[in-house]
Amino acid sequence: MSRVGSLILVLGALLLGATRAQAQTGTIAGRVMDAASRQPISGVQISVGDRGALSQGNGSFVVAGVPAGTQTLEARMIGYATITQQVTVAAGQTATVELAMAVAAVGLSEIVVTAYGQQRAGNITGSVKQVTPAEFNKGRIVSPEELLTSKVAGVQIVENNEPGGGTSIRIRGATSVNASSEPLVVIDGMPAGGLSDGRNPLNFINPNDIESITVLKDASAAALYGANSANGVILITTKSGRGAHALEYSGSISASVIDRLPDMLDAGQFRAAVQSYAPQNVGQLASASTNWFDQVDRTGVGQEHNLALSGSTESQDYRISLGYLDQRGVIQGTRLRRLSLGLNYDQRFFDDQLDIDVSVKASRADNFYTPGGVVSNAAQFGPTQPVMDQGSPTGFYEWPNNTLQSADNPLAILELARDEGLTNRSVGRLQAEYDLPWVTGLKAHMRLGYDLANAQRETFSPRQLHSQLKSGGGGNLYRRNPSALNTVLETFVNYAAPLNMLPGRVDFTGGYSWSQNHAEYPWFSASGLSTDLLDVYGVPGAQTTQNQQDIQESRLISFFGRLNYNIDDKYLLGVSARRDGSSRFGESNAWGVFPAVSVAWRISEESFFGEGTPFSDLKLRASWGKTGNQAFDNYRQYSTYLVGTSTAQAQFGQDFVATIRPSASDPGIRWEETTSWDVGADFGLFDQRVSGSLDWYKKDTQDMIFTVPVAAGTNLSNYLTTNIGSMKNTGIELSLGGELIRGQAGGLSWDAIFNAAHNSNELVSINPFAGESDQILTGLVSGGVGTYIQVLTPGQPINSFFVYQHKRNPDGSPVWADTNGDGTINEQDLYVDRDGDGIITVADRRAFQDPSPDWIIGHTSNMTYGSFDLNFTLRAYLGSYVYNNVASNLGTYSEVTRASPYNLHASVLETGFETPQYLSDYYVEDASFLRMDNITLGYRFNYRGREARVFGTVQSAFTISGYSGVDPTAGLNGLDNNIYPRSRTFTGGLSLWF
Amino acid sequence: MKNRMHTALVATVGFLILAATACTDTVLEPKSTITGANVFNDAGSYKAFLAKIYAGLAVSGQQGPHGQPDIQGIDEGFSQYLRLLWEAETLPTDEAVIGWGDVGLPEMNTQLWAETNSFVVAMYYRIFYQVALVNEFLRETTPEKLAERGATSALQAEVEQYRAEARFLRAFSYWHAIDLFGAVPLVTEDFQPGSTPPEQATRQELYSFVVSELTDIQSRLPTPGPNAYGRATGPAASMLLAKLYMNAEVYTGSPNWPSALSAVEGVIGSGSYSLASNYRLNFMANNNTSPELIFVVPQDGLRTQTWGGMTFLVHASCGGSMSNSEYGIDGCWWGLRLKPEAYRRFSAGDGRDDYFYMDGQNVEVAAIGNWNDGIAAPKFTNKTSTGQSGSHATHVDTDFPIFRLADAYLTYAEAVLRGGGGSRAQALAYVNALRQRAFGGTSGDITDAQLTLSFILDERGRELLWEGHRRTDLIRYGLFTGGTYIWAWKGGVAAGQSTESFRDLYPLPASELITNPNLTQNPGY
Repeated sequence: MSRVGSLILVLGALLLGATRAQAQTGTIAGRVMDAASRQPISGVQISVGDRGALSQGNGSFVVAGVPAGTQTLEARMIGYATITQQVTVAAGQTATVELAMAVAAVGLSEIVVTAYGQQRAGNITGSVKQVTPAEFNKGRIVSPEELLTSKVAGVQIVENNEPGGGTSIRIRGATSVNASSEPLVVIDGMPAGGLSDGRNPLNFINPNDIESITVLKDASAAALYGANSANGVILITTKSGRGAHALEYSGSISASVIDRLPDMLDAGQFRAAVQSYAPQNVGQLASASTNWFDQVDRTGVGQEHNLALSGSTESQDYRISLGYLDQRGVIQGTRLRRLSLGLNYDQRFFDDQLDIDVSVKASRADNFYTPGGVVSNAAQFGPTQPVMDQGSPTGFYEWPNNTLQSADNPLAILELARDEGLTNRSVGRLQAEYDLPWVTGLKAHMRLGYDLANAQRETFSPRQLHSQLKSGGGGNLYRRNPSALNTVLETFVNYAAPLNMLPGRVDFTGGYSWSQNHAEYPWFSASGLSTDLLDVYGVPGAQTTQNQQDIQESRLISFFGRLNYNIDDKYLLGVSARRDGSSRFGESNAWGVFPAVSVAWRISEESFFGEGTPFSDLKLRASWGKTGNQAFDNYRQYSTYLVGTSTAQAQFGQDFVATIRPSASDPGIRWEETTSWDVGADFGLFDQRVSGSLDWYKKDTQDMIFTVPVAAGTNLSNYLTTNIGSMKNTGIELSLGGELIRGQAGGLSWDAIFNAAHNSNELVSINPFAGESDQILTGLVSGGVGTYIQVLTPGQPINSFFVYQHKRNPDGSPVWADTNGDGTINEQDLYVDRDGDGIITVADRRAFQDPSPDWIIGHTSNMTYGSFDLNFTLRAYLGSYVYNNVASNLGTYSEVTRASPYNLHASVLETGFETPQYLSDYYVEDASFLRMDNITLGYRFNYRGREARVFGTVQSAFTISGYSGVDPTAGLNGLDNNIYPRSRTFTGGLSLWF
Repeated sequence: MKNRMHTALVATVGFLILAATACTDTVLEPKSTITGANVFNDAGSYKAFLAKIYAGLAVSGQQGPHGQPDIQGIDEGFSQYLRLLWEAETLPTDEAVIGWGDVGLPEMNTQLWAETNSFVVAMYYRIFYQVALVNEFLRETTPEKLAERGATSALQAEVEQYRAEARFLRAFSYWHAIDLFGAVPLVTEDFQPGSTPPEQATRQELYSFVVSELTDIQSRLPTPGPNAYGRATGPAASMLLAKLYMNAEVYTGSPNWPSALSAVEGVIGSGSYSLASNYRLNFMANNNTSPELIFVVPQDGLRTQTWGGMTFLVHASCGGSMSNSEYGIDGCWWGLRLKPEAYRRFSAGDGRDDYFYMDGQNVEVAAIGNWNDGIAAPKFTNKTSTGQSGSHATHVDTDFPIFRLADAYLTYAEAVLRGGGGSRAQALAYVNALRQRAFGGTSGDITDAQLTLSFILDERGRELLWEGHRRTDLIRYGLFTGGTYIWAWKGGVAAGQSTESFRDLYPLPASELITNPNLTQNPGY
């Protein structure tokens, strides 16, 4: 602290103590730091008699007006051992002390990043979980979300199995049908946009650069993000430099193989099926025996290299990282190459009173996709047919009759078609934190940030491609180049009121946030190409071309404030509110307010809480809050006109006229509002050897952004997106962590984490007029046209399967027989007449199970012995259901009667179906599973005086499931339709420090 | 020094906070989208808007052949107006089966639809989509609004005609509502979008509204001619009036054959139409050259693309051993065949069944899902009368004939037989004109004694097969439901069985009863 600064503080302190006789008092000034890390600790409650102070950001404190003499100074901080120290103060003098506090309970002292600030874990009043690198998932991790899988109770992470592919996250269930249910992701204070065009938008962050991820689960923790917080918030904090200058290298190589493939007929079975059911097609069969999946899959090889240079001095921290990743998928054609750069630089001025922090992340990802149709055609193509055909123009075998009803050779698609793109993205922010002089405890923050993304995606289907030949498409080229810029300005102040103003400690944060997004979506398409020679790179002459541009802009302006009140770490209160104005809201609803309150009571600190209990810490929490969701389209409140394309013109006499269409609009559209309750307890047992938390929550979403039927003729479409309907999620969550074996140095130690979460979702109402008969079909599947397999209906979880009840034979197999004796087998024979009207109609379908698991269970074990460490993570879903669409679509003998026969799913051998039964509950399968998500064995050794580590990881080591399809985690909506197969990945790697 | 620095910093922080928080404007208007505020700054928007109402019959959305659909809740290709209308009018009759198992579609073959059947639901919403478009057009093109926007008198006159055409299209769709659903709400341009759900009107009220609308606009519609192709003309309005009058007993309880006769006389007497010498020309890729067509839904392989409409009819009528290239298309969809009753209605010498495809096909429909059960009837083709293929192999050039002169002739004859006045000799002459074209001479002519109502129904079945009239005709004759006339798969069994009379009307969609509590479901559902 500078002399001027201390002088000011002393003067201030003297002024406060002016009522006292000055001559008899002195001052104690000092600094508190962490005994282990030697980092300053802020917010330590220093008390001397009835005088007190809080340590500031740089750890300093000043207690003035202390009576002269030897006094007892007490320093208290949650999770640290309280320090009691005798200090002798001379009248009119300042005594200086240095305090080093030791951590007593890691789980309580840990600093958790929260909305616009941070808090000690022990003082958190909401439902918040922070995950740090030690707990992250291991192995081949491309996208940051994968680090979290199975680590946080109530957080479901669903990957699409493609390396770097899209990921869905649900925190405590879905809150919306037609707006997004994805949580807000905030990276170093910057809300992350979503542009990537094809792959996971968060791929731009190198997972190795992540310091911590905090999940804000309940409303009280998230409501400070207002209209963006209803689905929870994920705060990602990237690493900054710490400690001595160091260079770290980590690298790995990996190999992925397909875990499971669809169960299709082999050549012999296929031939037999064609002979029995489509003898007219036997002549088309060749004598090959081809496993088409063998033709298109591969061992996906990957490598990853990361270099990070970091360090810190007294007034600076820095970290520069460079990453390279190259990962191939298990289906040919899929590949992701990423180059990433990270820079964090922190500079402190004026004895740490001004802190300027710069963070810049930039990456380029080259994305290669398996062209569309490879996986589905590998399933459909007849196994009796050869791969190559010398006589064909492309060299690949195709079915002789060039009809619409024949599969395409998947290898020809791989070889001839192309689907690729790239994403450039940079996110950066400059942040200044300033301890305002003259007012102790007042800190101003200013944050300026940008998120700039530029993506590209090209698909090319040459004229020669079988799918183009059979449809007369004449070749197609499609290119789009979306770009987006998001800018953010935030200013806020934080004030930690001095002690003695009130009984307890007050911490206030208040501020303003402004963010604007500008995005452009130009696209171009050409079909009927004059040549294939230009590939994706040029534009040949074309029969039709289309060129469009779409500009989307949005703005969000907010005022927010939060007050935390803490009496002796025993009684804790948090109150917050945010007022949001969004360009997406209609004029009459331009601003929304999102309040939240939370309280906690550390009952273990009460005197009546007996010493005899096993609880070393017990804190009861309750919270209530309103959060909003504005993740829906722009301009919904405007009446707009959409110009038709040149292919949708109307003939008007002898001319053709391009049309304009007025669109349905809702001038009063606004946010969805979720009111949440959370009641929970955080506990520590056996001197914190075991700790955990238990939560019950309820979330009521009102005014959902919902595309619902409107009374015919009352608007300009039959569906309108408006604020209507309500949804409910309730659940319980349990997290437990403990040291099962606390070994001596070098001995065996074993830490285990266990979490379990149950969520039950219910769509409460769609339309205020309607009862339970209201239903909206959803879940489009393959097979037929417009076949929807799921329903949105009041009283049921969203996306419940909506199927007929198939009559079953005694052995459980579905009935396939003419049970009513009318000479044909149709739905009248097969399904249960649930409404009892004597005939089977769509009214006999019923909501039956849903894709969301009833329970998600995660377990992680970390064991060390000597220099070895072993770590594994298990995940289980209970009560999740998947619709096996590959089976329903291809599990019928009618598929071989097509002009050229399709291969059949092996389920047909059991069912004997001769016509498709898409809506049979037979295909809705229990997809509960237990999976060894990853298991890692590492070995630490000394390399040139620094620690080094080698490791090997297996991901998706095994899965135990009764599900018959490719993957029981078949997407969020439980539709398994030629999904990208899951891979089992073997990774070997090395970390070195220099 | 540092103190001054701090003062400056504090001042800066204070200034920035003030400056920043001053910005509270959240309004961002669309940039690359046309809005209601500026759309009519371009005088061409009036025509483009009217064209959209016409296109509402021909395509499914703003991006041909699919994309940006007009209505939701059903596959976009399925949602196309003409396709739904054709299916609603044809599949439950003795004319056709469709072999696909798409959810809800099999029930259309058998009259066993439920109130959630997506084809029935989508038909209802398509009708009201057109109505809503017309209402919006009428609201936006009032003389007052045009004057406000400073429209020239030429533009005002042009828009006046557009308004008449829009009202024709609304009347056309309301006719479908009356015919298919009975009592539905009557929503006009006076209804403000987004307000409370409308009341249900009676079938009689709707009928009166449509008749008065058509009578009112008739003289303002374009006159037939090349510049009016695809558009609503005066004779088209007469033909539509004739349709209402001839079914007046079904719609209102009291027949009105004299009006039907005079309306159809207006069509025939306009002199704008004559029979095409080649019957097949009316169903070919160049059928826009036929002199017989009164009102059409135009399709174009390049400019008016859809997965419904004629793309559906031409592709779905093809399958099995048929060669798609013979019909100017890229492949077959293996869907539509004749029910045996429709096939057997044709007698030897009648050329109107020459295109039937028999090879490998059975007359009887033992299994609806089996393409080979039922004679194929590729009535509509993407080949021109000179054997040229249409401009596109997937999306066809063939226009759908909604009304054509032959229908007017048969309407005249039926009106005469039902006591609407007119001349019996003229009726016979009209019928025999069609017969002579069909038989290539007089060998098929009928005598006056043979000119009976049941003959007319059968003749309509032959002449107008698969042109979307059959259900209405059978209902007018009291044969659609009940046990008087049984055909294959009627009532859900292969041999056919009696169905209940409430199925003369389709149910109002279940979703509509929920969103509009003013509605009462049709009896029986």
